[in-house]
Amino acid sequence: MLDFARIVRVALEAQGFRVVLTREGNQGPSFDDRSTLINSISDAVFVSLHVSSTGPIGTARAYSYVFPNQAPGDPADAALTPKTQLFASLSGPRHPGLVEWNLAQSSFVARSQKLSQLAQIQLAQKFQGSPDLPLQAPVRQLRTIAAPAIAIEVSSVAVPNAQKLAQMGQPLADSVARALVDFRASLRGAAASPGEAH
Amino acid sequence: MSRAWKIAAAILVVFVIFALMSIPAMIRSVLGLRRASATAEQSRRSIIQSPISTPTDTRVTAQLFWASPTVPGTLEPSQVQLPLSADPVQRAKQLIAALITQVPTPAQSTLPADATLLQFYLLPNGTAVADFSDALGTETPSGILSEQMAVDSIVRTLGAGVSEVHQLKILIHGQETDTLAGHLDLTGFFPVTAPEPADSPAASPTPAATTSPAPPSPAPTGASNSPAGKPSSP
Repeated sequence: MLDFARIVRVALEAQGFRVVLTREGNQGPSFDDRSTLINSISDAVFVSLHVSSTGPIGTARAYSYVFPNQAPGDPADAALTPKTQLFASLSGPRHPGLVEWNLAQSSFVARSQKLSQLAQIQLAQKFQGSPDLPLQAPVRQLRTIAAPAIAIEVSSVAVPNAQKLAQMGQPLADSVARALVDFRASLRGAAASPGEAH
Repeated sequence: MSRAWKIAAAILVVFVIFALMSIPAMIRSVLGLRRASATAEQSRRSIIQSPISTPTDTRVTAQLFWASPTVPGTLEPSQVQLPLSADPVQRAKQLIAALITQVPTPAQSTLPADATLLQFYLLPNGTAVADFSDALGTETPSGILSEQMAVDSIVRTLGAGVSEVHQLKILIHGQETDTLAGHLDLTGFFPVTAPEPADSPAASPTPAATTSPAPPSPAPTGASNSPAGKPSSP
C-alpha cells in the first residue's frame, strides 16, 4: 500500500501538487489522527488508497462519502439530515469557522463526488472491468475530512501473482494525478464564473 | 558396572516403561479435551443458531441478497422458501439467520459463516438494532467493497422481507463499533427501504455501494495510506 502511495506522490508532485502522506512507514495513525493532519491544511484534497481482499482482480473503484437521506448522485452539498441542518443553523453564527468533527465531510459532499467522478473516469480507462461511474459508501475515514475527499480501492490482494498488483501502481498514480489536475481546473473554472454550482 | 549403576538403570527402565504405558492414555485425554471443546462450540452454535420457529410461521418465498455468482462485486436477489414468522422481530432473525446459513455457494457468501445474530431489537419508530457476534467484525474480509456488500446484503434482505424496519443499527457483541472491518462506517443508521419493482426475482445484479449511515458519534483506528494533495499551489 505504501508503495502505491509513494508512486502516487511522485505523479502528483510532477503535476505541481504538494503531497503529504498520512503515514510513511508502519505507523498506525487513527482515523482522527489522519483527519487532524489533513484538516490543518488549507485547500487540501484527500485521497485514501486501499487494496481490497475481494472484487474483480485488476479493477479499481473511487468512492465518495454518502450521508443519510441523501440519494446517491445527489449533487447538493446541503443534502443533510435535519439534525445536521439544525447544527449548521445553530453553529454558523455562534461559532463561525468551526466544523463539527463527525460531520466534517458534509460541506464537501458535492466536491468529493465531482472528484470521484473524475477519478473513476481515469480508473475505468486504465483498469479494464472497473465501473464507469464512481460509487458512494460510508467509508469511515472520509467522514471527518473537511476537504474534498475520496477513497480509491483496487482489487485485490487475492491476485495470484503479486507482480500484477504492483503493476497497478503506475496507472493508479497516473489516474489520480490526472483526476486532480482536472479537478483543480474545474475549481478554477467555477471560481472564474461565480454563481456556477459545483 | 557397580551395583548402584545397575539399580539406577533399573529405575530408569521402570520410568521409561511407565511413560510408554501412559502415552496412549495421554493421547486419549487430549483427544477427549478437543472433542469436548468442539462439542461445546457445536452446542453453543446450535443454541444460538437453532432454527427460529414461532406459532405464526408460514412458508413463504423470501428474497435474500447474496453476492452475484456472475458479476463480482454486486449483490443479486435470490428467492428462497422459508418458514417466516408474522412477528417482525422473529422474521428479521429468521431472515438474517438464513442469509448466513443458507448461502447457495461459499463464493456467494456476504457474511462470515461463523457470524451469529446475538439479538435483534425493533423500536416502534422502525429503528432496528442487530447485534452480531464478534465474527462479523473479525471474519468479514477487510475492504470497502466486501464490507459494503456485507451490510447491503443485510439491509436489502430486511428491506425486502420486513416492512416494519426503516433503519438499521449494527452492533458487534453489544457494542457500537467504528467500522465493520476497518473501512465501513458502522456508527450510524442504515436506511432500510423496500426494494423497488426492479428488484424482482429477475432483476439484474445491483452494485453494493449505496447504503449510508446517519452521522453519529466518533471513535478512531485506521489503516490506509492517504496522500493529501494541495491543488491550489502548482
